[in-house]
Amino acid sequence: MKRKAYGRDAGLSFRMLFTTSLLGLLYVLFAVALFYLLNAGLILMIIIVGGVAFLQYFTSDKIALAASGAKVVSPDEAPQLHEMVERMCGMADLPKPRVAVIESDVPNAFATGRNKKHAAVAVTSGLWDRLEPREVEGVLAHELSHIANRDVLVMTVAGFFATVAALLTRFGFYGGMFGGFGGGNRDNNNSVPVWLIVLLVSIVTYFLSQILILALSRYREFAADRGSALITGTPEYLMSALQKIASGITQIPQQDLRQVEGMNAFFIVPTNWKSRAGGLFMTHPPLEKRLEALAEIARQMGRPVS
Amino acid sequence: MGLRDVLLGRKKLKDAAGERLFAISTARITLETELGLKSAGSAGVCFKALSAGDFVRTENELQELLDSVAAESGSKVERRTDELGFEWLIVRDGDFEDLVTSVHLVASELAARGFGGQLLAAVFPFENRGFDEKRVYWIYGFKRGAFWPFVPKGEGKERDNAEELELKAKLEQELPIEQDLSRWFGIFDAPL
Repeated sequence: MKRKAYGRDAGLSFRMLFTTSLLGLLYVLFAVALFYLLNAGLILMIIIVGGVAFLQYFTSDKIALAASGAKVVSPDEAPQLHEMVERMCGMADLPKPRVAVIESDVPNAFATGRNKKHAAVAVTSGLWDRLEPREVEGVLAHELSHIANRDVLVMTVAGFFATVAALLTRFGFYGGMFGGFGGGNRDNNNSVPVWLIVLLVSIVTYFLSQILILALSRYREFAADRGSALITGTPEYLMSALQKIASGITQIPQQDLRQVEGMNAFFIVPTNWKSRAGGLFMTHPPLEKRLEALAEIARQMGRPVS
Repeated sequence: MGLRDVLLGRKKLKDAAGERLFAISTARITLETELGLKSAGSAGVCFKALSAGDFVRTENELQELLDSVAAESGSKVERRTDELGFEWLIVRDGDFEDLVTSVHLVASELAARGFGGQLLAAVFPFENRGFDEKRVYWIYGFKRGAFWPFVPKGEGKERDNAEELELKAKLEQELPIEQDLSRWFGIFDAPL
């Protein structure tokens, strides 16, 4: 008997594809505009940014672990955590990632790594202490879903041209101040200088791509929540975990988490979500939306969740 | 997993591959004659229950089915939940063939009802009834369709990796063995 997959969410799939396509389209337009405006220099810049992105991609796990102060633990040091990760990986058909612990009372977790073989999952000691085991399991399954869905790869690729645009905006700005790009001087004085057009194109590209990247990041969170529900079979525990984590994070001052700023896209709940303004600029969907989506999955699984 | 999974995220768990389970039947003879390891007279199937009414019903029907099979073959069936929240169906029988058949029955029944993705592993414990009273486990990963050895050691959650690698080397000819060592998940405190 074929059972209807309860993880199906046509709307989410559509939004993910739509955002990805828009982002791709935007980048193509950006590249075309740049090629049209300045034919030299651009290739070099793309190579440089490409190199940086490549490096970032290949060291993502080390950077993330170091930046968050996470310490990789052996099975001897954290036997229960390791066992739980192993079981979850078994269900998700993933090789076991490295397991790391962050000494922090704030319950949170993140996953990183360029592929399944070079992945790491980190939890704070607060997560382990404050949550029930089944809730921790839900959180771990969410993080493992990020690994399974290759989110580091997706977000690196998605951010690539945004970085180019950001750099060009900066260069264009200085270029405008100190005489412009190589091509700038060849223009006669009547037309708009090339550097100004490049600057404007880059600003627009950067702004639009940020919005799209953030939207994509939020959709990837929904997808990871769904993945967690699939792996554990019990979305209700992830729901209560999210509630606990969110409330814990808003109560506790954020000084000790300053060092992990900038890694928010990989945390299960962003560290500074309260301070974020409109929904358009958030890396994570609002809690209520995530709970709603999980409740829907639970309903599809056949058990009502109040 | 392909491009779709990367673009849209995974939508379902990998289904069970139960067909290579029977390889353990022949491997048992090598285990016994060459390594002095005998079946401990039990086997278990470990799966993740869904918090859904449908699954609970399936689980109950499955146990009834197993009970009726067990009544014929003279084996015993138990149901347990371990401390990590996984469900176990445990069969106890002196006859190894009956154990393998029962385990396969559980797997194929769950798969036939569309719950194959919930299957994690089948576990076959073996014992050396000699002086050192050692216990080794052969774990069949349903997602992988392959076996790997698991030898716990000491009081804590430690494994005897040397022994595990030796078992792998000795049984490689007869069992489909998981080649990726990072997938050799242990199952400590299995209720077997």
